[in-house]
Amino acid sequence: VQCIILHPHPPRLLAKRLRFHIVGAFAVSLGVAAFLKFAVAKPGKKAYADFYRNYDSMKDFEKMKKAGIFQSAK
Amino acid sequence: MAYPFQLGFQDATSPIMEELLHFHDHTLMIVFLISSLVLYIISLMLTTKLTHTSTMDAQEVETIWTILPAIILILIALPSLRILYMMDEINSPSLTVKTMGHQWYWSYEYTDYEDLSFDSYMIPTQELKPGELRLLEVDNRVVLPMEVTVRMLISSEDVLHSWAVPSLGLKTDAIPGRLNQTTLMGTRPGLYYGQCSEICGSNHSFMPIVLELVPLPYFEKWSVSML
Repeated sequence: VQCIILHPHPPRLLAKRLRFHIVGAFAVSLGVAAFLKFAVAKPGKKAYADFYRNYDSMKDFEKMKKAGIFQSAK
Repeated sequence: MAYPFQLGFQDATSPIMEELLHFHDHTLMIVFLISSLVLYIISLMLTTKLTHTSTMDAQEVETIWTILPAIILILIALPSLRILYMMDEINSPSLTVKTMGHQWYWSYEYTDYEDLSFDSYMIPTQELKPGELRLLEVDNRVVLPMEVTVRMLISSEDVLHSWAVPSLGLKTDAIPGRLNQTTLMGTRPGLYYGQCSEICGSNHSFMPIVLELVPLPYFEKWSVSML
């Protein structure tokens, strides 16, 4: 009598879970980084560029002088 | 100046501080990237009953988690070095001001043309006028011309102090027997506050710095009036 012992293939459940979630983890962290870049870093740079584009320091100074904050310019 | 519930830096008043602000945003983005990855992996490990107890080697993942951090460090180091070298550029300052730290006040000397020097003491809380800032106002402010490169030479007459103005990205130690130099360029007029940043005794928290940036003609008139 020939006996064929069938060894079951291990289901590799952990490996499957890991592969799925590691890809997910990288995707989530890159997403967080992209979100920070486009929601915080880029608008921050733009805010400074927009502020200084048409900034008139003398006009700003005259407003502050009128408010009386300076010791050297009453 | 600082304000209640402040989370980030004060608004930048010099080109270097603007660069530092943007560099901080870039580095914080990397920090969030790594932290979210680690948090995700930890929660992954805590939410499974599956195990693997027969790991023999892991060459591929070890290569990845060596090379990736090296790349991340380079991505942080390159902008950092760029700003570091930018701070040391030769920029031919038009004015030199010396500041000496004392226990517990700063003294300033404008000696390019005449001998102008004065002490700058904090205004005590009981003597503040309405609208003035507690623990930040001084009797004699450091008046400087705006949009002009100024060289600050910083030292101390007694113990260690540190001359700091966060809005301009400045912090330089005042060390007795040593002369430290920093350059300053304010892009906007106004009042910019800082505080001593090296423990120097009981009144370390009570020796602030106030820069008053004004147009050059006003600076000239002020310096003549102070002689």
